[in-house]
Amino acid sequence: MRNLVDFLRKYLYWLVFLVLETVSLVTLFHAGGYQESAYLTTANTVVGGVYSFTSSVASYLDLQTVNRQLESDNEELRKRVGALESKLLDMGTDSADVSRIVQPEYEFVSAHVVNATLHRNNNLITIDKGEADGIRPEMGVVCSRGVVGVVYLTSAHYSVVIPLLNLSSKVSCRLRGSEHFGTMQWRRGAVDISYVAGVPHHAKVKRGEMVETNGFSDIFPPGIPIGRVADFGDSADGMSYMLRVHLFTDFKTLRNVSVITNYSKPERRELEYKADSLMMN
Amino acid sequence: MSNSFIFRLFRLIILLVVQVLILNHLHLLGYATPLVIGYMQTCFRAGTSRISLLLWGFATGVLFDMFTNTSGIGAASCTLLAMIQPSLLQLFIPRDAPDDFEPTLANMGLGRFFSYILIAMLVLHAAFYFLDAFSLSDWSLTLVSIFGGSVLSAVIILFVELLTRRKTR
Repeated sequence: MRNLVDFLRKYLYWLVFLVLETVSLVTLFHAGGYQESAYLTTANTVVGGVYSFTSSVASYLDLQTVNRQLESDNEELRKRVGALESKLLDMGTDSADVSRIVQPEYEFVSAHVVNATLHRNNNLITIDKGEADGIRPEMGVVCSRGVVGVVYLTSAHYSVVIPLLNLSSKVSCRLRGSEHFGTMQWRRGAVDISYVAGVPHHAKVKRGEMVETNGFSDIFPPGIPIGRVADFGDSADGMSYMLRVHLFTDFKTLRNVSVITNYSKPERRELEYKADSLMMN
Repeated sequence: MSNSFIFRLFRLIILLVVQVLILNHLHLLGYATPLVIGYMQTCFRAGTSRISLLLWGFATGVLFDMFTNTSGIGAASCTLLAMIQPSLLQLFIPRDAPDDFEPTLANMGLGRFFSYILIAMLVLHAAFYFLDAFSLSDWSLTLVSIFGGSVLSAVIILFVELLTRRKTR
């Protein structure tokens, strides 16, 4: 008996080791579906607070880049205002119709990026707005240049976003001006390149063509720019094109983003879920 | 006892701040991020209770995970390092060392200390990046991360030792 106690006391650390490793690995492999344990991530209030403090300090350091970006955004917007104004003139007196085109259809909540990773397989971005501002998981996140990603976890004042630069990110997209669609999925490597698979061979793809969201998912409205086709070739199975797309969003300097809060429709998701489960039976 | 606890906690906080706010933004060759947080574990004296080593390692890893969204990866690899640290230290301990030998540069000399730190860092980085790349086939990037990160961390730790521990002995 005494020997047994001695033995246990001597090798108790093995048990502790195994328990701790099991706990770690269980957390690791269950990380996919957990919503309730946002407190173990950067969405946690303390960690989020630390990051928003340091990013507010760091933001002074790259004000120049931000300025340059804002200038180019302004220019882009001015061009679009010009284009819209000329369209308005073309439309003539029928203003009732025009107001519907110009009216902003979607509501945005703007937020700051407080933490972001770029060099991992599954990069994540933390932003400083959360449930208190109406943000829920599965909402689309965009910036002035294009798509950023999808909200993954939320706490009261912070959210974690899965950006395009994440191996598990999948965004349904199309070529501007055509109805041929594909799925964008990132591969580890460059932070400004992603890949679109599933565009059929009869689609007329050209270099420099714009890739945008197609509105098939209930996350992004159709027509939000994602990037430009840099290159294309056959996909691995040879059945379709694989497009190499240069992303518009510059994730290295990303600071201001907007979350689309009123596009996602629970009703539609419920219906699709119901349809799925009926097909199963 | 409580004195050394506060000292260790203080060291953990400093390392965590340096790791999270500075080193996590460093990507050698584009990928290799040094995990200097492992210095926490290699500092423990010989003869420290193994359970306390494991708990410190686990706590270090969990805190690191919270800041980097690497749920469980840091905890698993830091706990592993905590498990092997006593045996690893035995390999590099001088023959006439006291039972509570403290692994510092001054106590061990450059060659032994650097080998000790480098092997510890290789274990930590290998565990971390293999778990991180579990579903991934790009092994060359993982290997670059492991070796680049380990060497860089070991060099950083060596410099920290040179700067902070000169007085002891």
